[in-house]
Amino acid sequence: MSVQRFDLNKCIGCRMCEIVCPMDVFRFGQAARKSVLAYPENCQSCGQCFVNCMGRSLTIVDDMYGYAMTAYRATSTTAMNRKAQEVVDR
Amino acid sequence: MSKDISRREFLKGAGAIAAGMASMGVLGACAAQTSETAAATAAATEAATTAAETEAAAESVETAAAEVAERVTEELPIPEVDPPEKTEYSCDVLVIGGGFAGLSAAAAASDAGQSVVMIDKGRPGYSGLAPWPSSHRWLDEDIDDAQAFRDCINRGGEYIGNMDWYEVWIKESKQTYERLMDWRILTQYPKASDAGDYYDKKDYAGYREAFAQYDRRTKWVEVLESKGIEYAEYTMITNVIVEDGRVCGAVGFHVPSGAIVTCHAKAVVMCMGGGCYKPTGFPVGGVTFDGEYIAYNLGLPIAGKEFDDFHMTCSWAPGNAFQNNNWTYLENIWLCGGDVTAETAESYATSKGKVMVLDRVTKAVTGLSATDGTAVEDMSEQSITRKGGSVVAETNPNEVRTGKDNDTMFKGDVYGAAVGFGGHLSCGVLCGLDDLVGYSGIPGLYVAGDGINASAPSGAAYPCGVGFTSNFVSIQGNRAGAAAAGYAAGVDLVKVSADAIAEETAQIQAPLAVDSGFDPNWARDQLHAIMAPYWIHVAKNKDTLTGALAQVEYLRDHVAPKLMARSSHDVRLCLEMKHKILSAEMKLRAGLAREESRGLHYRSDFPYRDDKNFLCYITVQKDENGNMTTAKVPVKDAWKGDVNADHEERYKFYFPGEREALGLPPEETSGGWAG
Repeated sequence: MSVQRFDLNKCIGCRMCEIVCPMDVFRFGQAARKSVLAYPENCQSCGQCFVNCMGRSLTIVDDMYGYAMTAYRATSTTAMNRKAQEVVDR
Repeated sequence: MSKDISRREFLKGAGAIAAGMASMGVLGACAAQTSETAAATAAATEAATTAAETEAAAESVETAAAEVAERVTEELPIPEVDPPEKTEYSCDVLVIGGGFAGLSAAAAASDAGQSVVMIDKGRPGYSGLAPWPSSHRWLDEDIDDAQAFRDCINRGGEYIGNMDWYEVWIKESKQTYERLMDWRILTQYPKASDAGDYYDKKDYAGYREAFAQYDRRTKWVEVLESKGIEYAEYTMITNVIVEDGRVCGAVGFHVPSGAIVTCHAKAVVMCMGGGCYKPTGFPVGGVTFDGEYIAYNLGLPIAGKEFDDFHMTCSWAPGNAFQNNNWTYLENIWLCGGDVTAETAESYATSKGKVMVLDRVTKAVTGLSATDGTAVEDMSEQSITRKGGSVVAETNPNEVRTGKDNDTMFKGDVYGAAVGFGGHLSCGVLCGLDDLVGYSGIPGLYVAGDGINASAPSGAAYPCGVGFTSNFVSIQGNRAGAAAAGYAAGVDLVKVSADAIAEETAQIQAPLAVDSGFDPNWARDQLHAIMAPYWIHVAKNKDTLTGALAQVEYLRDHVAPKLMARSSHDVRLCLEMKHKILSAEMKLRAGLAREESRGLHYRSDFPYRDDKNFLCYITVQKDENGNMTTAKVPVKDAWKGDVNADHEERYKFYFPGEREALGLPPEETSGGWAG
């Protein structure tokens, strides 16, 4: 992955990140009027969201998302893993 | 992870980035351990760069640290998305894919008086390859020596280039440039280092914002709206429906909501691009062989799969496409052409071939690679030819083709920036050697653009065409759109049947019903791991290809059916993976079938051009029993060059092992760079 949230406070709700992303990484939270970095694991680091972000809410880093190569690890989806982590955090 | 925890971790030196990682769950957090500290330091430094304008360095770091601590990096919950207002369309011509080819196809069909709908997986202008050309090349018959260009591309394409399509480019490329210029896609504006301090400060967003009115990606929608062309965004077409022997439309789904979308159409132009397995430096991950998958399953022959991509990335930041391409993609598309003359046609082809064909092979087999991040290329220091500018540009003030002059960039040093991507323009549906409009052979179905029409104007290797893809695919789109409009004008609309919609809906939604299976992101990484090694991607042989094929067949038979989705985003990924797996199988079978080396296909067990047996295209096609078969389609004699000439006359550089295999004396200099 490469796009990361620099500061959600700076998101002005312009929706440009959601509009320009070719990888379906972003969603938009209507209630909070903030973008949601929903699927960063599918970022291809093209940077279109970063350069179009009018509030300067996003940043770009070198790290790229990838699975550690184990035999069975991916028998749950990224979404399921995210939920599991929420349980751990609680 | 709460905000408090992320603050505490920052104090330990782990930094705010760790909180961002929390949104990725277990996997991201594990992968990020080693980079957290570095990332936090980088983030603090970045903030410090801004503050340092007015404050002392030490003080600014302190300020930045305070700012970091107050930042919010935790994401809000992922919201549900409502279906789009419209999920059923009817039109004369449906254009699938909103890149350069798609825009020209839609415009041509609309200008011919037909109603047009464009459907794109993202936003037209921002998806596929459309955002990324850095140069645009055309031929000016009043200035350029067209015969020199023909000779150059014929040699550079290693005698399997489609010279009839190239002739179309000679005749139509200038008017195509003018059309794109009218659409303000090619408007020139100051580069970052000439426009202020954007370059020095690495103020990418500031530069884009200052010249936002020129941002070419915004012009797609403007052109569509000016012509009254309806378009649907973020909608992935998964099948083109053919009933009673003719096209009647397409079915897909709106990715954010999962809503099924249908379009009834008299004619369909597929401008869906090619694809790659996982983008690692060349950001073409949005194209995933969707059109190729549809075409193959409609029984159409797919050609050019054996030729590999040549795009490079930086060995020290291979996954960061923005790092590799930032200014190139922010600045205007540079205007190129007019750089080949009768005197230089041969040497141009040879030198380009050495750089872009041979270099990737010699680097792979000798292990030469890797820089420390200091290798950069300053285009302002380069010759006009290196820039791709016209030889008359320096003496003719009216010549606008002054070549690439983008700001200094890191120089990529390793190949494999988009594994699975084909050689530009060589791969896709083979419409027959006499086709010049992209007619697939199925009434009403046309193909146009890179990765979906195997028009092969530059044959086995792209180097002599560098920069002409955005121009060439626009020609192709224009022609296919006009042809589709002509066809549509003569037939009635037949709607996609309810049965066909139901069947496709079931296919789309199948991954949601898989209870226990595999994450498509994991499958993507597995496929990438199989296909990315240089012994599969660059220097291939029968054993390596056969081994990879067994792996890919396993993915096809045992993993693809178990790909599971928990959201419509996942559904897209699952379907894309099926397309990638099929494409990889085609690529491996085509690579096995071409038992020679030519252009961007190198076989270490057949390290030589074999003109006797392989002046042909290799097609991959589904037979009547559902099996994947390969075949040879010989190119026209007129495209083969002088087949009676000596090997050393036809080819001016040689693959590792080629001369030895052919009994030719070794070159005086060792390696591929001799001569």
